[in-house]
Amino acid sequence: MRNKRTGLIFFPAFDWAISPTHPEREERLLYTRDQIFEEGVLDLPSIIEYAPRLVTTHDIARVHFCVPRVQSQVTEAHLIAAGSATLLGDSIFNGEIKNGFALVRPPGHHAMRVVHGNRGFCNINNEAILVEYLRRRHGIRRVAIVDSDVHHGDGTQDIFYHDPDVLFISFHQDGRTIYPGTGFTTELGGPGAYARTLNIPLPPGLGDETFHYVVDNLVLPVVKDFQPEFIINSAGQDNHFTDPLGSMRFTARGYAEFTRKLNPHLAVLEGGYAIETALPYVNLAILLALAGQDYSYVREPENWPSQFQDSPERVARVQRMVEQLLSVWETRDQVDLEKIFGAGTFYQRRKQIYYDTDYIEEEQQEKVRLCPSCPGYITIDSRADRGYGRPLRVFCVSVPFSACAACQGEAYEAYEQAKEKMSHFAYVYMQDKSTDTCLAFEREKGQEWVSEGPKAGE
Amino acid sequence: MYIGVDVGGTCTDAVLLEQGLVRASAKVPTRDDLLATLLEALDMILRGVSAETVERVVFSTTMITNLIAGKKYDPVGMILMPGPGLSHQRYRYPTDVYIINGAIDYRGREVIPLNLRQVDDAAHALAGKGYHKIAVVGKFSSRNNRHEKEVEARMRWNYPNMHQELGHRVAGQLNFPRRVVTTYLTCATREKYEFFVRSVQQALQQRGIGGNVFILKADGGTLPLESSLEVPVETIFSGPAASTLGVQALTPPGETSVVVDIGGTTTDLALILSGQPLLASRGATVDDMPTHVRALAVKSVPVGGDSVVERVGKEIIVYSERLGLPYCLGGPLPTPTDALRVLGLTRLGDVEKAREAMDTIGAPLGLPAGEVAGRVTSLVVETIAREIEGMFFRWEQEPAYRVWEVLQKKKVRPQTVVGVGGGAAGFVSQIAARLGCDPVIPPYAPVANAIGAAVARPTLQVTLHADTEQGVYSIQEEGYQARLEEHPFGEDKALELAKNWLAKRAARYGLDGDLGRVEVTRRDVFNMVRDWVTVGRLIDITVQTERGILHYVNRGGTGFEE
Ligand SMILES: [Zn+2]
Ligand SMILES: [Zn+2]
Ligand SMILES: [Zn+2]
Repeated sequence: MRNKRTGLIFFPAFDWAISPTHPEREERLLYTRDQIFEEGVLDLPSIIEYAPRLVTTHDIARVHFCVPRVQSQVTEAHLIAAGSATLLGDSIFNGEIKNGFALVRPPGHHAMRVVHGNRGFCNINNEAILVEYLRRRHGIRRVAIVDSDVHHGDGTQDIFYHDPDVLFISFHQDGRTIYPGTGFTTELGGPGAYARTLNIPLPPGLGDETFHYVVDNLVLPVVKDFQPEFIINSAGQDNHFTDPLGSMRFTARGYAEFTRKLNPHLAVLEGGYAIETALPYVNLAILLALAGQDYSYVREPENWPSQFQDSPERVARVQRMVEQLLSVWETRDQVDLEKIFGAGTFYQRRKQIYYDTDYIEEEQQEKVRLCPSCPGYITIDSRADRGYGRPLRVFCVSVPFSACAACQGEAYEAYEQAKEKMSHFAYVYMQDKSTDTCLAFEREKGQEWVSEGPKAGE
Repeated sequence: MYIGVDVGGTCTDAVLLEQGLVRASAKVPTRDDLLATLLEALDMILRGVSAETVERVVFSTTMITNLIAGKKYDPVGMILMPGPGLSHQRYRYPTDVYIINGAIDYRGREVIPLNLRQVDDAAHALAGKGYHKIAVVGKFSSRNNRHEKEVEARMRWNYPNMHQELGHRVAGQLNFPRRVVTTYLTCATREKYEFFVRSVQQALQQRGIGGNVFILKADGGTLPLESSLEVPVETIFSGPAASTLGVQALTPPGETSVVVDIGGTTTDLALILSGQPLLASRGATVDDMPTHVRALAVKSVPVGGDSVVERVGKEIIVYSERLGLPYCLGGPLPTPTDALRVLGLTRLGDVEKAREAMDTIGAPLGLPAGEVAGRVTSLVVETIAREIEGMFFRWEQEPAYRVWEVLQKKKVRPQTVVGVGGGAAGFVSQIAARLGCDPVIPPYAPVANAIGAAVARPTLQVTLHADTEQGVYSIQEEGYQARLEEHPFGEDKALELAKNWLAKRAARYGLDGDLGRVEVTRRDVFNMVRDWVTVGRLIDITVQTERGILHYVNRGGTGFEE
């Protein structure tokens, strides 16, 4: 497998922007294109470039509850970005390539399970769509996602918070100093997936040395221990020392070395907005690292090679955090979950979610069935306030792919019940991953839509 | 009247066209004496025709291709400025390479200053090793050619007789390694190509032909012979381009077809999509080295009428090598041509010998000659058909960087399989059947290449890159860079400027008045936003003269006798 090639889908979406001057605009990957083309890396025998393809609305509905429906939350660019990830996934499983890089826009790691609008430049979560797609298409179960964006990958965390078969590790700038303000060490996953979510909030200003301390001492050992069938890197590049949104000091070489060590099956571009000073170099370095090529000549022009010295006091803080998280991981099966999460048939949590791009305030009541024989189904009562008109209230039911029959039955009851209730919910959704069936009910029209995944052989 | 001449490795083909009709055609062996070969071919088609009536002569030649394949070119040293990026270990070529400090970035800004002392050292070393030709290439030199020019000036001062070729003048597209190779090959073949051009001019002069003389390029366009001296490498692979244009001229307009040119050892495939030959998305690969030379999408399959056929155990295998003529023509071993002869799909050679060839393969397997011939033919057909499917698949798989480009992608399949070249007749109907297409063998198929050359259009292209924040622009094909004079400078002005350059370039090539429609093939405008404010624009505009052929060639006229 190791002698195979690295697949690249480069989709800079040169005709797509959130708005003309928004960081997510046409220009974002322009200089990356120039660098990659000029280097001639697409001529390297170890790299193969694919044309992107569109993901289906069903592939999205398998992961997200888009309100009111998938088509109203995504543009074609979103379909292409997510489709690029699934295409590379297919190519890895059919043996054409050993690994891949979805160098695509728009990003997705802030998109949560329920989608009322765009938050953190994201509408749909490319990595989550890939995970559920791979489970359906290629029968895998255990996936590790490592998020190296400067922002907490709160969307990915939200989607897999109760999934014991997805290990989600995010290191990022401390949430007290940056959007979205989450991603603390105490966020460790729900009762059924305890310690499968690990967050490493880093003090602003730290550089490659500390970055690699975290990688070597926490990320790599935990990923190895988890024994995933597939490793995804949410390859955000805003930890770079020139990024305008982040305050970290990682370099292109630091990113490349991380990529080499993690050796992910697929890297998916997330954020990174130093479009001239970082992206051309970081993207090139990541691609070379994936392809097993020498990246030691990649060097961004600014400030290099003056080494950044991390403050010893901050480094010590990170080291303590790593130690603490490592022990959480190692003792994950011995902890008293009832003591942490309480007892009962359901675990519930309330969430306030803010959509910074679309100015929507969402309030969620999330309930997970505590089931001894499966991860349990999830229900979400979600209320979105756009600041005008009546808040939109929807009810969502999600059945995990490994659900037991009892949970599946209860989940459908919950769905039917929500449909019956005379008042509350404008839309009611059911997402049954065990049968790959998605239902959506619109109260006003009294109508229900069904979408099913392709049957075997299709 | 128009003349088309295709100087191939083994044959030189020539046609004389008069008002869309083939008036005469000739096929003579290509001999070492190029001038004599050209004269022989010209004399055959000009029998009874006055030389003054010839308005236009177009040549296509494999001369440069063969030079490069045989590595019969002059030694060229290299001075490279790759700067940061890919490992410098990659920049190894079969010559002496000196890597010096100096780097430019994607916007043409200097990142690392040029080290002139290293230039002197490299030049000294190269001169000491006896080099007279040097290729000087920098990464992103097409965005800013200053370093290359400084190297040139410095070397000219110290070594005035050293011939230098600068990357930005040879290939302005992005892709540094391809620019290096293209510059190297240009430098290496220039003198030898000049000899070819002079032979052609001499031949024409001796026969009193005074019309315009052009050379066919790999992309199917023509260039005035004299101007082609600047860009010898662009004439590589003009042979397949000639056949493809020939098919375009000989088949109804607007069709989607595959051109199958079956030769002795290789089969060349090309695609015509809705009547237009498909250009390759990347430059041609020459002698395993990717270049920037724009070429038609041509795929060479190593199988032909003379390929060796053998039995290995119970299997019949068609090899890619040739060991002489087919058995039925007196050669040593069975070939696909022998199979065709047995099946009655060709009239070449001796049928008894052909049967004998098939029997040597079939006897140990207990197969009759006819059965063996059938299997051999279908092996060849299957190999070629798979390659054709692969070409369409790869075309569909071309990357797309814009939403609309992804959305407009569609599946296209050919309507016809058009056979040209010597070995085509026997295989084409079967390839077509395999692909569900109609087989076509156009009249004059054996000289389609010369016809293609005769009707090829002159093509010129101009690519403008403007950076309004820095106030600079460049013309890729000219290696020209200057400051923008007009402010503000927008898309319309960029288009106007590009068109002016196209006209200027045309005039320089003596093509004015002959341009036809100007097509805008690229029109990209990116707003540069810094801190939420638009600070400038990056504009890329490509304009080109109409591509394709001057006219279709009528099916009537004097027939070609096989
Ligand atoms: Zn992160
Ligand atoms: Zn980010
Ligand atoms: Zn259960």
